[in-house]
Amino acid sequence: MNNDSPVKAFLVVLIVAVVCSSLVSAAVVILRPIQLNNQLLDRSRNIMQLTGLLSEGVETDDEEMLALYKSLDSRIVDIDQGLFDNTVNTDTFDKRRAASNPELSVVVPAEYDQANLGRRSRHAPVYLVWREDQLDRIILPIRGAAMWSTVYGYLALEADLNTVAAATFYEHADTPGLGDQITRPDWLAQWQGRQIYDAQGEPRFAVSTGQVESGSPAAQYQVDALTGATVTADAVTALVHYWLGPHGYQPFLSQLREQPPVQNSPAPVEDS
Amino acid sequence: MSLKQSLLTPLLKENPVTLHVLGICAALAITNSLTSSLIMSAAMTIVLVISNATISMIRKHLPGSVRIIVQITIIASAVTVIDQLLTAFLPETAKTLSVYISLIVTNCIVLGRAEACAMKSSVGTSILDALGNGLGYGIVLVIVATIRELFGKGSLMGYRILETVQDGGWFQPNEMLMLPPSAFFIIGFMVWVIRIWKPEQQEKVDFEPIPLPVEEEGS
Repeated sequence: MNNDSPVKAFLVVLIVAVVCSSLVSAAVVILRPIQLNNQLLDRSRNIMQLTGLLSEGVETDDEEMLALYKSLDSRIVDIDQGLFDNTVNTDTFDKRRAASNPELSVVVPAEYDQANLGRRSRHAPVYLVWREDQLDRIILPIRGAAMWSTVYGYLALEADLNTVAAATFYEHADTPGLGDQITRPDWLAQWQGRQIYDAQGEPRFAVSTGQVESGSPAAQYQVDALTGATVTADAVTALVHYWLGPHGYQPFLSQLREQPPVQNSPAPVEDS
Repeated sequence: MSLKQSLLTPLLKENPVTLHVLGICAALAITNSLTSSLIMSAAMTIVLVISNATISMIRKHLPGSVRIIVQITIIASAVTVIDQLLTAFLPETAKTLSVYISLIVTNCIVLGRAEACAMKSSVGTSILDALGNGLGYGIVLVIVATIRELFGKGSLMGYRILETVQDGGWFQPNEMLMLPPSAFFIIGFMVWVIRIWKPEQQEKVDFEPIPLPVEEEGS
């Protein structure tokens, strides 16, 4: 057939499209289980790091990490009511899907939406870390729009529900070398010990716009700026303010202060 | 051009980065670590080989009116499959390379080779040309990454080479090398040195500026 005929052009495009799309779909379907397992492992690692339960300097292997993660006290919080919600299964709850499902999410009112979320899920999975029957830390998922994409992370608070114990950002697509500095361990280490709220209960935590001056009254709320990543840094400040503010976890945290949570019967350590 | 030539010329004589100045975006962004540069070069070479081979195979049946669409479809599919493989088997590296793997689609080297070589040459020549260009790209990435990681972090592929001051050693890392502009300087120096060594790579001056008439005083 003549190469210039429209029929030939149509046929060639069709065949190439069909062959290419089958190859791509096959790759996606076949590799999906491996990728999901990687994700779970990645999540376990990220969360376990924040618990302070891992012994330092010791490599924990993948299986052990998964086992530790599964033994954590994980619960679902109804963000709007500020209460634990036992009706949602923690194992099957998918916070990404919930955030875009109109029935499982709410529109964030514009005046609160400094993190540019648009919608947020009604529920959130949180992790309680117990040490000798005392609440030691609580780990909250956070996210927000940054330079190019949504940044996902976790924030661990001490038992006073105000001091940051640790933080991590496990997914983002910000510029490598600039915005991706939010994953730098030495930068994240500065978060430890910073305060979230001031005496009036306003979220004050911020990524500074310069070097943090130690001794200044703002220092207890601030971590250092990120060179060349002002948009990402501001986004981090905004998302912390949103998630710990009145439309985020603030009602839940106030509830927790009044009514300290009770430890569930400890998860069995060995498989029975 | 002989087969050997199509493999070897892109390494230095017609290097895609230093002569054609293509594929700079990724070269700036990911060369702060040698490991990611090696993986990026490998991914780039594989994509180039797949796209050049496939396009060369069907080149005689490609109507000129839709050829770019078909080329991009093939390149994008190869890139997506490689991206999926990386997230499955090298999740940590896939994270650091993030968008740059999918951006291989828009890397001018791939489409450039498809148009300049695969559309006109046999499958064998096209594959060698792809390998040569992939390696030529890789060489530049590896050189830049070695300089940046060694002097910016004191390590290579994550292994400590120079004891940094932070760790109690003597070496003061140059933090500027960790930022993308440093890759601009290094690539610029490479282009300069290569063009002094091989003056035939120097571009001709497009036009001679007309000297401005000298203004007379008082007018």
